[in-house]
Amino acid sequence: MNNILLAATKSSPEVNFDADSGILRLCGESYPENSFDFYAPLLSWLQEFLDQSSLPVRLVLQLSYINTGTVKCLLELFDQLEEAADHGRDVRISWHYDPDNERALETGEEFAEDLKVPFELIGEKY
Amino acid sequence: MYFNLLQLKETLEEANILICFNGPFSQSIIEELGNAVRRYLNNDEMESALLMDVFAVYIEQTQNIRNYARRRAALGDPHPAYEMATILIGRDDERYIVASGNTVHVDDAEALAVSIDLLNGMDRQALRARFKEQLRKPVSDESGRGAGLGLIEIARKTSAPIQHKIHPISEQHVFFQIIAAI
Repeated sequence: MNNILLAATKSSPEVNFDADSGILRLCGESYPENSFDFYAPLLSWLQEFLDQSSLPVRLVLQLSYINTGTVKCLLELFDQLEEAADHGRDVRISWHYDPDNERALETGEEFAEDLKVPFELIGEKY
Repeated sequence: MYFNLLQLKETLEEANILICFNGPFSQSIIEELGNAVRRYLNNDEMESALLMDVFAVYIEQTQNIRNYARRRAALGDPHPAYEMATILIGRDDERYIVASGNTVHVDDAEALAVSIDLLNGMDRQALRARFKEQLRKPVSDESGRGAGLGLIEIARKTSAPIQHKIHPISEQHVFFQIIAAI
């Protein structure tokens, strides 16, 4: 299946969903005009990837700011991953934040509270 | 027709308005103004968490207005007035202020005021619970209910109750303003 490679814009993150490695990366800021329009193709790609392959999945998030529409869309991504994990899939999510960006850490912590799949918070300067 | 722009500039500066916008606006204007706000606040040497809060409140307010215009259009009531917004970012003695106003159908105004009052009555913990609850509502539901998450997010970031005021403008429409202090 095809990979998804999208360059970042002012209001949308860089996307690199790689079907060969199972590494899915979102990097940048996310407050697109319509979050659902932006994330719907990523959600359907992920579902197809989960159905077609049995590779471990690593979702790598390095998002310094996300709007509420994006929070909702990310939860849908997490739901898909959790369902796969329930069926035995090796799934890990990592949330990378700049230690200078307190709010990015808090956003990651709130996600971590409600998730059952491994969700790692990683502070690193960038 | 004559405008005294110097007077307008002085009025804005006296009110400590850093940035203001009035007119038809779009996602790209939201992005450009947002970047201007961040550049300005960065020079102000404010701490990054506060800067991010001001930016987040600005984004949620402006995107709420855009979403509202889209929703009215989807309901079969597109109107050029819904595409317009008045946005101010400024400060008073202690706080940053993000204010916005837009034209709203009379049928929607009271419900919006009620939901803001409801949020104003909640403490941090209740707002957090409310946010999580709203996150779990299906998308289709939200399109009918409107600015749920955005308003809760604004309430979570503000240090004082969100002020709102309804200005009647016609039989069909009111001008709805909200002022958030961060």
